[in-house]
Amino acid sequence: MLETINLTKRYEDGQLAVDHLNFKVEPGEIFCMFGANGSGKTTTINLLLNFIPPTEGTALIEGIDVTKEPLRSKDFISFVSENVTLYGNFTAFQNLDYFTKLAGKRGLTKSDYAKALKSVGLQEEAFNVRTKNYSKGMRQKLGLAIAVIKDAPNILLDEPTSGLDPKSGQEFLNLLIQMRDQGKSVFMSTHDIFRAKLIADRVGFMKKGRLVIMKTRRELEGEDLTELYIQYMEERPESELK
Amino acid sequence: MLKDIIKKEIQETITSAKFVFTFLLCAILILLSVYTGIVSYHSDQKEFSAAVALNKKNLESQPSYGYLAQLGTKINKPPQVLGAISSGVDEAVGRVATVNIALDPNLVDSKYESNPVFSVFGALDLTFIVKIVLSLFAILFTYDAIVGEKEKGTLKLTLSNKVPRDRLILGKVIGGFISLLIPLIIPLILSLLILLVYPNISLSGQDWIRLLLMFLMFFLYLSVFFTLGLLVSARTNKSSTSFLVLLFIWVTFVTIIPKLSVVTAARLHPIPSVHEITAKKDAFLQQIQVEYQKVGVNYMKENPMKKGESVKEFQDRIKKWAEVIQQEATAKIDANNAALELDYGAKKRSQVSLAINLSRISPASALTFSTMSLARTGLDEHDRFLASIRGYKPIFTKWANAKMMRTIDFSGTGQTAKVVLDDMPQHKFEPETLSKSLARTIPDFGLMLFLIIVFFAGAYVSFLKYDVR
Repeated sequence: MLETINLTKRYEDGQLAVDHLNFKVEPGEIFCMFGANGSGKTTTINLLLNFIPPTEGTALIEGIDVTKEPLRSKDFISFVSENVTLYGNFTAFQNLDYFTKLAGKRGLTKSDYAKALKSVGLQEEAFNVRTKNYSKGMRQKLGLAIAVIKDAPNILLDEPTSGLDPKSGQEFLNLLIQMRDQGKSVFMSTHDIFRAKLIADRVGFMKKGRLVIMKTRRELEGEDLTELYIQYMEERPESELK
Repeated sequence: MLKDIIKKEIQETITSAKFVFTFLLCAILILLSVYTGIVSYHSDQKEFSAAVALNKKNLESQPSYGYLAQLGTKINKPPQVLGAISSGVDEAVGRVATVNIALDPNLVDSKYESNPVFSVFGALDLTFIVKIVLSLFAILFTYDAIVGEKEKGTLKLTLSNKVPRDRLILGKVIGGFISLLIPLIIPLILSLLILLVYPNISLSGQDWIRLLLMFLMFFLYLSVFFTLGLLVSARTNKSSTSFLVLLFIWVTFVTIIPKLSVVTAARLHPIPSVHEITAKKDAFLQQIQVEYQKVGVNYMKENPMKKGESVKEFQDRIKKWAEVIQQEATAKIDANNAALELDYGAKKRSQVSLAINLSRISPASALTFSTMSLARTGLDEHDRFLASIRGYKPIFTKWANAKMMRTIDFSGTGQTAKVVLDDMPQHKFEPETLSKSLARTIPDFGLMLFLIIVFFAGAYVSFLKYDVR
């Protein structure tokens, strides 16, 4: 489970990146966070990963305060970023082997790695190819394979589908659904409302660091998510918003 | 986990194109420099033996001791075997000095004089390769060690796991350094083998210790640039910025500081020119010559051939007197020259030592000075050799004067005594001992260690606080 309580981040230049953010992602749930560039989505992920300290509030992973026990909290989280290029001179196997060991998993065999790579839809002939020759979609799949093999109960994804072709994007979403079905809490920051609409159990809209609205799948039924996105992302007084 | 990080660092580097390129270039340059160094030493050694033999033959062929005293003996500087690794100032300074009764000896005929193009490009010795080429490789290996991982996104991915930052930086340092050492160690071992098997090259036990200390210095020097690269990489947000900053520091360390320190020292501690000193010496020589000419004339006037004195007795008396006077005159010239040289030498040493100490803030200078000292091709060894020749000059002069005066031929028949060199005093030079060379290099070892510690600590602390976003 992922949770933020009044999570706030003000940078040294005075910019308020995250403003008293409160949300919770339950096990078996996909939470998609929308927002324009600079709205605070990535800052939220950085706070959850303890890459930056919060100015105020708490970020919890499986109930562990990430600022108090940063290393322990990392045992319970996997991260897939937007543009990870991985180690280009390494093959998929070598990348997977390294990150698996960093995740503290020992004794895994090549067939375990092959299984993980297959599960994310990577073709077998690509397993021994240096990843510098991979397309973005292949790299994203490998990134997800790293998350799969770590098998943490929480997954953080920072705009993982940006730049993916429709087929790769769809395959990627299917994998997230599988993870949710395994009982994992999935938090995904994205601009991709079309794909998110297909899988999200809940969506949130961030604007200027604040979570301005949160809707469940049921609440979204009958709503035009695109219209909603445009409405919330436009510069309008909050009182005018639904 | 540390082992995994180290293994990954090594694996990632040795599978890269830059490693293959570095390895090949290192192997070619190191082996080429050592081989050419050895060949050059070998030919210098041959040249030295030939020059010594020729000098002896020349002296023996002189018609009289008078000619010999004027011509003088030639002292050749023996080549240093470790000059093959660090040629130091040996190629720039003279290799031979003429010691006669008149002039003050100086080392002349340097390699650069024989071929001035050498002075433009300098020697391609191992010290040069390490100082210029390998330090650049150390930068190439580290400029993106941290910032590059940030750009690739792998740093975030790594730290999203239970990886303590201190362990990650330690793993990067160890793994990175091992990767850098591989292209260095293999060619170095091969070059040691060349030294071992090359005919007519023999290294004493002390030479091997000196050689190993030089290699240690090379490793320390490369560690300075390696840790500096890590530090800059952990203080920048773009690998291009990191590379530019490092290149600027490299240029400052390797070229600007050493050159600037020489200019600054010359300004702060000006010394009289060599021409001034030579003019003073010449003036004194002329003064003495005039003075003693008068003394000679007066003596002959005041002490003509006495009644009852045979011609032989008279000639013997004149010879005895002339020897004493000659010794006195040359002793005065030597003393004057020595005083001038002492004063000039002290001023020069003070300027040189200021330049050396100013430039020592650069690890490149520290490397140059320490390896020169260890190879016995440095300025100090040169000064010591020159001092030993100057110390030999009065000994030779005394012997030559005595021989010359005792064999003056008054008969005017042209018959002169045959030159015999059996009792001619020989020039002796004891090369600097290892402990003294080591003592001279301690500041350089200290500076390197200090810089490594400072740069590593800086990189370590910076990485603990590094913004991985």
